[in-house]
Amino acid sequence: MSSASLYVDAGTPIHRLAGRAKIALAAGFSIAALVFSSPIAVGTVLGVALLTLLAVGGWRNLRRLAYIVVALFVVGIVVWPAFTPPGGPVVLSVPFLELTLHEVRFALGRSERIVAFLLIGLTVVTTTSNEELVASLRSLGVPFAMCFALGTALRLFPTFLGAAGMVRQAQEARGHDLSAGNPVQRLRNYVPLLIPVLMTAFRQVSTQSMALEARGFDTRRERTFYNRRRFEVADWAAVALAAIVAIGSIALSTLGFGTL
Amino acid sequence: MPDDGGTDGIAASLRDVFFSYDRAAEFPDHGPGPEPDPDSRGGLVLRDLDLDVERNAVTVVMGASGGGKSTLVRTLNAIIPSFIRGQFRGEIDVLDRDATTRRTSEMAEHVGMVLQDYEAQLFGTSVESEVAFGPENLAVSIEAIPDRIETALETVGLADLDGRRSPAGLSGGQKQRLVLASVLAMHPELLVLDEPTSDLDPRGTRDLLEVISELAGATNQESAMANGPDPDTIVMVTHKIEEALLADRATLLAGGQVHREAGVREIFTDIEALEECRVAVPPLVEAFDRLGWTEDELPLLPDEAVAAVRQRGLNWDPPARLGDTLPGVPAETGERTGEPLFEIEGLIHEYETDRSAIRAVDGVELTIETGEVVAIVGANGSGKTTLAKHLNGLLTPDEGEVWWDGRDVTQLSMTEIGQHVGYLFQNPDHQLFAASVREEVAFGPENFGLEGDVLDERVDRAIEAVELEPLEDADPFNLSKGQRQRVALASVLATDPDAIIFDEPTTGLDAVQQDRFMDLVAELNRESGLTVVMITHDMGTVARYAPRTVVLDDGRVVDDGPTREIFATDDLDQWGLTEPHVVSVSNRLGDDEVLPALSVDELVRGLGGQP
Repeated sequence: MSSASLYVDAGTPIHRLAGRAKIALAAGFSIAALVFSSPIAVGTVLGVALLTLLAVGGWRNLRRLAYIVVALFVVGIVVWPAFTPPGGPVVLSVPFLELTLHEVRFALGRSERIVAFLLIGLTVVTTTSNEELVASLRSLGVPFAMCFALGTALRLFPTFLGAAGMVRQAQEARGHDLSAGNPVQRLRNYVPLLIPVLMTAFRQVSTQSMALEARGFDTRRERTFYNRRRFEVADWAAVALAAIVAIGSIALSTLGFGTL
Repeated sequence: MPDDGGTDGIAASLRDVFFSYDRAAEFPDHGPGPEPDPDSRGGLVLRDLDLDVERNAVTVVMGASGGGKSTLVRTLNAIIPSFIRGQFRGEIDVLDRDATTRRTSEMAEHVGMVLQDYEAQLFGTSVESEVAFGPENLAVSIEAIPDRIETALETVGLADLDGRRSPAGLSGGQKQRLVLASVLAMHPELLVLDEPTSDLDPRGTRDLLEVISELAGATNQESAMANGPDPDTIVMVTHKIEEALLADRATLLAGGQVHREAGVREIFTDIEALEECRVAVPPLVEAFDRLGWTEDELPLLPDEAVAAVRQRGLNWDPPARLGDTLPGVPAETGERTGEPLFEIEGLIHEYETDRSAIRAVDGVELTIETGEVVAIVGANGSGKTTLAKHLNGLLTPDEGEVWWDGRDVTQLSMTEIGQHVGYLFQNPDHQLFAASVREEVAFGPENFGLEGDVLDERVDRAIEAVELEPLEDADPFNLSKGQRQRVALASVLATDPDAIIFDEPTTGLDAVQQDRFMDLVAELNRESGLTVVMITHDMGTVARYAPRTVVLDDGRVVDDGPTREIFATDDLDQWGLTEPHVVSVSNRLGDDEVLPALSVDELVRGLGGQP
């Protein structure tokens, strides 16, 4: 069964924007997520990112990455309080653990931020084909080898997911039980999965890079970009919006809004 | 026709070429050095090899797995020695360029290459961007690219595709044709095809071969557009005889050297040379050779064979007629016991995709008895693998029921069913992880709770069954594909299952390895009554080893019965399947009431020879 890429082919207004305009928008909202720190302000950015992602047809991508999203969020919530100075009223008090409101809000804001980054990035790759992303980054001055490495990583991602699923089934059929044993044993249980996945990935990557060279791909040589989109009014509007979001959020946070 | 003599007629010339993937390898000062074992890795892959590839012709390269075929063709576009850096020595001249000093990307302007694994060769998110990729890399002007895309897609028969469509949604056959279009859009003079159909189903194979044979026809015309999408010269690596016969010339490799190079007809009637190079002898050549025909009379294709038999007025005495008691298959496998082992009722299974759910299995009813050997055939995407994965509970039905030995499979844990029903995946590399063959084989039985002497004995027996005793301490990753496939089989056998499900077990194996593998499976069936369910595209394997065939199309069972009866009908074609040459000849020699021969032996016997 063929693995689909993260790009979802659709005709939403965001899909129709030029790649560079989308990168600008992503940058604008990422800056907003970065400069704010209160759960409500960062949550707003996160909410906008989430709604946008859903509106552009990214539900399936979100579901594919759900584990990572949830894991990042939970780890953030658990870990951040340890690095935050306590403050404000105590909201949770159990033996060995006391959480203050400040710690909770701080951790929540940070976790929202990391998820917001992820969703913003996901929205870009959901609405932008690899070629366009690569061409856009290139036209922004990023070295071609780097652009292409990113494009390839995005392309390989679904391939690895597919290989991982296949390997899991192959070992399961041989009676391998991932959830057996104590925590150390459980970690070891992943060895029969990791090695075949890595080997499959390694073989795939080496075949792919060989095929690339054979198709004349060479980062040391100039190439043409077919089908690059022209910058249109909507794109300029998007860039303007991105600038407003970025500058506005910096201004607000400097004035003390949306920060802790 | 290719012209002889003069360097004008030569597209590529290799002289004294040595290559090893091991960078520390040492080459002999004189001569080719000792012959390597075709089943082992490391050592010299090309040994003092000399070859001239004729221009304006199609040359096919054949030989044992691991015998250096891919390595050889990878020297033509400088992947070796420029991209894969092993130990290299020799002279390689391709299209009047020194290929040993150029980068692969420089050679790409003149030499195009299509590999077996089409997934790894698709880089674009749309059909159009895929085809544009090569020309973009060659810095073809943006204005000229649309024309190149259109012509290339037209050449491979994909002109009707929406250029904005994602390649992910195409069938395997379409994907490989798209890869070919992408290479042709670069206007190569020399086209290299490395097992282009190995991952395709019969329908995909047929479509791709049609394109290749058209390109092949164009190579012989001097008027072929210079700088057009049609290459002047084609070099193709293949294991399949029907592909090889498209070529003008054939090169047989053995032990890293050219064993014989000649016209296709001469090569494929030279049984001795073919066997020495572990290349399958065309079944019709083998059959008529046994009937005592001389080398020039041996037919390569069914049409020739049928015409020759009729011309000589030979009588065809079929192995059976409709209504007779059916003779078994040549391997004498699959004795019926009348005891149902698997029972499937109203099975439905769906996969979700971006837009909608795809019903991969759609209302299948199927009973498989203990001791049967059943082939499940059908085009890619017809639901074969999805169906098979329900037999051991890897997948759960959306609707319907699956019973194993009278028990509901969904109610059993993998530990309960896994040791009774083994599953061998298509790619052994999806399961191999251990540091030694022995450890790998012991993994399954250990998971099922075996230990001590019982475990040791099981592992010994399994390793012995696949004849890997001398390699039991070897690292599986250093073994050949055929050997890795056997390690995977041993690891399933060691659990002492009642049934094994094989998913394309012989892909990537050469003629000798395939026979060895299937003979082993047949023996296990005959001697211990192992139930075998095999998914395969190889109709020759089906004919010889599986008395019963189940045909799937679009998730439904469209045919289910004795293989001999199914092969007697004209139905195969409409399911995108092709009958083996032996079957095709015997079908055409007899009337409608006659059942076909399934093996060379049966064909020989039916034509009055001694098997």
